[in-house]
Amino acid sequence: MAKGSKRSLVLQRRETGVSYLFLLPALIFFLGFVIYPMLMGIITSFTDASFANQSNGKFIAFDNYIRLFNDPVFKKSAVNTVIIVVAAVPTVTAFSLWVGSAIYKMKAWTRSFFRCVFYLPVVTGSVAVVVVWKWMFDKYNGLFNYVIKAFGGKPLPWTESATMAIWCIIIILFTTSIGQPIVLYVAALGNVDNSLVEAAQVDGATNLQTFWKIKWPSIMPTTLYVVIITTINSFQCFALIQLLTRGGPLYSTSTVMYLLYETAFITSKDFGYADAMGVVLAIVIAIFSAIQFKVMNGGTTE
Amino acid sequence: MRQEKKISPYFIVSVILLVLLAIFFIFPLYWIITGSVKEKSDIIVKAGQSVKWIPTSISWDNYARLFKSSTQFFGAKIPMAIRWLFNSVFISVVAMLLTCVTASLAGYVLAKKRFWGRGVVFSLFVCAMALPKQVILIPLLQQVSNMGFLSSKTPVLSEVLPLFAVICPVVGWPFGVFLMKQFSENIPTSLLEAARIDGAGELTTFINVAFPIIKPGFGALAIFTFINAWNEYPLQLVMLQQDSVKTISLGIASLQSEMSNDYGLIMAGAALAAVPIIIVFLCFQKYFTQGITMGAVKG
Amino acid sequence: MNLKKTLAFALSLSMAVSMAGCGGTGSAPSTAPSTAPDSQPSAPAVSDSGGGATGEQVTIKWWAFPTFGVDSGYEEEVIAAFEKANPDVKVELTTIDFTSGPEQLTSAITAGTAPDILFDAPGRIIEYGNAGNLVALDDMFDSAYLADVTNQGVLEACKGAGGTYYMYPISSSPFYMGLNKEALVSSGAIEFVNLEGDRTWTTEDFQNMCAKLAENGATAVPGIVYCGGQGGDQGTRALVNNLYSSTIVGSDGKWNIDANGVKALQLLADMYSKGHLDAGFSMAAADELQQFQQETAAMTFCWGTSNEVSYATEDFTQEAVPFPSDDGVPELEYLVNGFCVFDNKDAARADAAKRFLKFICDDSEWGPQSVIKTNAFPVRDSFGDLYPGDEHKALLASWTQYYGPYYNTKDGFATMRPLWFNMLQNVFNGNDVQAEADNFNTQANA
Repeated sequence: MAKGSKRSLVLQRRETGVSYLFLLPALIFFLGFVIYPMLMGIITSFTDASFANQSNGKFIAFDNYIRLFNDPVFKKSAVNTVIIVVAAVPTVTAFSLWVGSAIYKMKAWTRSFFRCVFYLPVVTGSVAVVVVWKWMFDKYNGLFNYVIKAFGGKPLPWTESATMAIWCIIIILFTTSIGQPIVLYVAALGNVDNSLVEAAQVDGATNLQTFWKIKWPSIMPTTLYVVIITTINSFQCFALIQLLTRGGPLYSTSTVMYLLYETAFITSKDFGYADAMGVVLAIVIAIFSAIQFKVMNGGTTE
Repeated sequence: MRQEKKISPYFIVSVILLVLLAIFFIFPLYWIITGSVKEKSDIIVKAGQSVKWIPTSISWDNYARLFKSSTQFFGAKIPMAIRWLFNSVFISVVAMLLTCVTASLAGYVLAKKRFWGRGVVFSLFVCAMALPKQVILIPLLQQVSNMGFLSSKTPVLSEVLPLFAVICPVVGWPFGVFLMKQFSENIPTSLLEAARIDGAGELTTFINVAFPIIKPGFGALAIFTFINAWNEYPLQLVMLQQDSVKTISLGIASLQSEMSNDYGLIMAGAALAAVPIIIVFLCFQKYFTQGITMGAVKG
Repeated sequence: MNLKKTLAFALSLSMAVSMAGCGGTGSAPSTAPSTAPDSQPSAPAVSDSGGGATGEQVTIKWWAFPTFGVDSGYEEEVIAAFEKANPDVKVELTTIDFTSGPEQLTSAITAGTAPDILFDAPGRIIEYGNAGNLVALDDMFDSAYLADVTNQGVLEACKGAGGTYYMYPISSSPFYMGLNKEALVSSGAIEFVNLEGDRTWTTEDFQNMCAKLAENGATAVPGIVYCGGQGGDQGTRALVNNLYSSTIVGSDGKWNIDANGVKALQLLADMYSKGHLDAGFSMAAADELQQFQQETAAMTFCWGTSNEVSYATEDFTQEAVPFPSDDGVPELEYLVNGFCVFDNKDAARADAAKRFLKFICDDSEWGPQSVIKTNAFPVRDSFGDLYPGDEHKALLASWTQYYGPYYNTKDGFATMRPLWFNMLQNVFNGNDVQAEADNFNTQANA
């Protein structure tokens, strides 16, 4: 939109004024309730403010950050966060692509039926369904162990086990994350140029070949978008953990996000320390997103 | 729509898998809704007993218990659970309206106007988009409390003002601005120029020319924000403590730990939390899928 | 159409502007140091009527842990009675639970939206008091009151740093174990349990009972040592401390798991690996109690007067026994129920809150009833025996002689609790017990 080159300075100045008038409502909320608290959080992270000493925390420079990188629980939580992201993103992407490609050619009503079914867990959120999941994972009388026992198997400890619990979280996260990618893939696959597909089929290409050679490149932007939203979503996984395992057993399901909450409101109530975790997490997510954003923009402008 | 000529084995296998997956996905909801009308003896599965997949009889007893505790609301006595539902709806609707207005105005100028500082403002929005809200929980809590949101003394205001502690950060979240900017790129500049030459004011131009074009995005943003605000659990958890200002999600979460041995009651609560939002989703599904895809595919 | 859009725009703008205005004006919280607002020094035993009313309507917020039983409806009853007698005060109730209640309180205090009254126990109350969040209640502990409360332990539990009273106690009772009698009988484990006299028993009996239960499998597991959260963690501490008569606080006043404590933890770890006990890695007391109620476990380590009400069942007989110990002489933890008043910088509210808690605790009609609703024993001698002819209550009362030292108001109690359950998790995970105990001792006193 380089059409403004001919405009007079007066017009441009007027346009700036009008633009900011239009931006004002959004900026008030954005600056007031996102940026300002963020700055306050950064400042607090350099102090020893805590629950018992809220208003007059002392400036302690990088002590909170140094403590952070020597804290085994924080390290464990960081690893768990990475595990969740690394496990969830590829599975969600691959699965939603599979479901999307399985349903996009179906009749309109079956397509929207499946789309709806897979979207419902996203809509209802974790809070309402977590009680059912809790029961399903119950070690003693839970549904999964009931089924396992019915087939003569040995019951599993599920969320009671330090090795299994995080996978229980990932399973639920999976069900609440897959809906949006499916919707996106169904639309993207529907937009693939059909003449190319037909031409390939006439040439005797197999379904798999058509997929990789023709469909995959054209849904690449969607894939990148899916990867980004799923990454952000996985980093933010909180409600599930708070309601299901509270970070345990043995901090095996504690993520940075949960540890932040636990530090601020349950255990030591060191606000400065908790804010330092928030700052580190924010930086990591920002780097992640920036990389992905670059890649995504590169992908679409090709 | 192109149909498969003959049914391939791959197709059959994938349909079977799809149906199985669908059952797995829908099961928690099915369990909540049937559980909420089950008799106590049907709900609790003790060791050695078989799971009651289908309720043997329908009972509204769980709902009666859910609605037992009541509260005063603008002079009327209503069940606490209904109050929670109201709070959720209020938060979602107000956040939705505010977001739609602020985001469409901002998105429009970011896409269509050249102005001083545009680049800075837009990058700020984009950078903040990926940040998890929990990162700012503590300072935000202190801030809204300093602003007097949480402890208003004015009778009417004190009923709803605390809810704005959740609404404002949701509205401030820049995703909406980003989405509306994507949609606003579709507005032909020539139309805007024409309106300007005709002497239309900026606001009139926005309403008459820009708005009809970004309308689908508007619908998507509306429902997206609605669902987002409804499920904004961490913010609600930290901001809203008093029973009377809790949302239905919070109410259900506290029921789950408070009354953990009353499954029927919890199921009724969970159903009350899930069903309204599902209905909203099903009604506006079309806008939603449309909007989501248009916003995203544009990149 | 146009009009509607313009209206929406105008509305949102005005809202945004008013919101910004809020920020400017309301951001000066009073920073007055916490002082007790002067309130009328009235005789405690006298029931308040609406006499002190000045016409101004006051609304106070009451947060209650389920000490009157879960969903008993008693809170509403007592509020209605109080509001009738004090038409100038309106009480708003919020019920919280032991799992998420503590963090809700932290958020609320941080946000300056703390309730006016909290019904809790000394552990948290004294923490809040020492942090300067509470109104000192020294004026309520006058000589007549002090003469009526002969249990010095209870009074000590109500004091914060510098001897200031922060909690107004109402009732007290021991924590003990609950057993499923039918499961014990059917598995033949009942022979190891003493249901005579004051029911004391030994660590060996306990081990045998668990082994027998595991062998005959009347329930899915004999018992669950829950360690997934801090709710009800006094039960697991009492278990560990009793098995070989150790204490959690050393003679130097520091948190300490001593050699006997390590021995007890080792025993529990061994019982776990043999399947004679289960460990609840992601369970808090509420989950364990539920498994007890549903007959998944044959015992609970978090039995007490409130839980007897909340987790009652008709499916089996719930027997109360003290914790087992090597010498057969238990040392029991006990609960003190009481109220505190938050300092919300509003003398009228603090005053109304004090009136309300006097009404609950001391009103000639409602006071004793409140005690009965907590299902525990009154702290005031003048209330007499509230449970005449109740054998079960007589048994519990006889355990008063076994009360151990009260440590919930000690410095660092709040820090110690999460360390405790994490230490248990590590022990059950097979880590070296001595190393975990050392680690606990270091961190708890840090």
